[in-house]
Amino acid sequence: MVTFIKFATIVYAALLLQVAVLPAYFVDPFQPDLLVLLIVYLGLREGGWHGGVLAFLLGLVEDCFSGIYFGLSAFTFLSIYMAMRKVSDRLYTDNLYLMVLVTFLATLVNGLLQLLLLLLFSAGGTVYASILAALIPQALVNALVASVSFVLPRAGMGEETK
Amino acid sequence: MERLMMAFFRKYRLYLLCGIILLASFIVYSLNLKNREHAGPFERGVMNLMAPLYGVVAKVNGFAGGIWSGYIDLVTVRRENRKLTETVKILNSRLTAANEAVLSNERLQKLLQLKSSLHFPAVAASVVGEDGSPWFRTIVIDRGSVDGLREGMPVVAIDGVVGQVVKVAAGSSRVLLLTDHASGIAGVVQRSRARGVVKGAGGGLCSLEFSLREEDVKVGDTVVTSGIGGIFPKGLPVGEVSMVRKGEYGIFQTVDIRPRVNVSRLEEVLVILQEKHD
Repeated sequence: MVTFIKFATIVYAALLLQVAVLPAYFVDPFQPDLLVLLIVYLGLREGGWHGGVLAFLLGLVEDCFSGIYFGLSAFTFLSIYMAMRKVSDRLYTDNLYLMVLVTFLATLVNGLLQLLLLLLFSAGGTVYASILAALIPQALVNALVASVSFVLPRAGMGEETK
Repeated sequence: MERLMMAFFRKYRLYLLCGIILLASFIVYSLNLKNREHAGPFERGVMNLMAPLYGVVAKVNGFAGGIWSGYIDLVTVRRENRKLTETVKILNSRLTAANEAVLSNERLQKLLQLKSSLHFPAVAASVVGEDGSPWFRTIVIDRGSVDGLREGMPVVAIDGVVGQVVKVAAGSSRVLLLTDHASGIAGVVQRSRARGVVKGAGGGLCSLEFSLREEDVKVGDTVVTSGIGGIFPKGLPVGEVSMVRKGEYGIFQTVDIRPRVNVSRLEEVLVILQEKHD
């Protein structure tokens, strides 16, 4: 229960920062997507079936404040989480540089997956210009934030399950 | 045969499970594609949960900004003060001429007995949040269904059109800005009455789609809402034409529009409480 409350608080704070605080001080596309960092953390350092459920829910929450396509981020976050779970056994997840690199790549994959789904299933034919222009800057900003965030001690989310 | 099937399922159960879960989440996404301009129960619940803090955070931001501009940023104030004094002198003389023009206009209006344009009820709202992604363009305002807002209502600012309400919760709403790729507003060039659809192009710009090649559109032309579709009242300023390109072939011309409203600096907006009518 305590773990759940801690995680909910972190998500609430991340969402508040991302939607209400950071846009006032940072220009697009140099605003970090803090929920992607949480997905990377869940994928590499936490585990179990609840991680997948959390990843899906985080995606739905991101969709509540991003664009008008409900379910888009849920699908991409879940896909990224599953890919992370698949490779987490082979990675030394205590290494900060690795976490930063994975965050960078996860942000790129998230953007590209969203682009693919939008091009295939929505009428936003011109959205590729916005996404491709913002992809690298956002990935770099996310990596920068990850280099600070993942230094912090684990939030006591639970024992590592492998 | 049955044993083979069971062995197959046992061997690949993890991949099958992952595939089923991905398929389920994809079904959630595709089911909501048709319904993207309405907020579902989950979205409404999350927005209601976040709404109370947005106002507080906006006030804290304003306070921090006030401290900066009121105390820390005083270095250039003296120089700016001198420049502004000169400007005020010039403006005062223009004001006198403008007052004369206003009085003349009032007299002409009474003479012509212009029928006043339809007045719609409207509610003012503050912008308390922005989109969580850099490639979508939405804002969060601090008004919702309790204030009479409904999905599809037009949103304007002092300078012109801002966008359209797309998701409504009890105390907050999300507005799709006119610069978002999913936005489409029926527009008309004020000078030549050339019609088209103003679609968001990202990067703070819009484009006038479906404008025929032979239509007379020039750089500097003002684009206003045409009223077609029954969403936006007719005549609201949308933006100014910044580029016109007619290719050698094709039936349409390419027209870029710079919106009148600076959507990246919005603080207050007005929601017109008019439901869509044809």
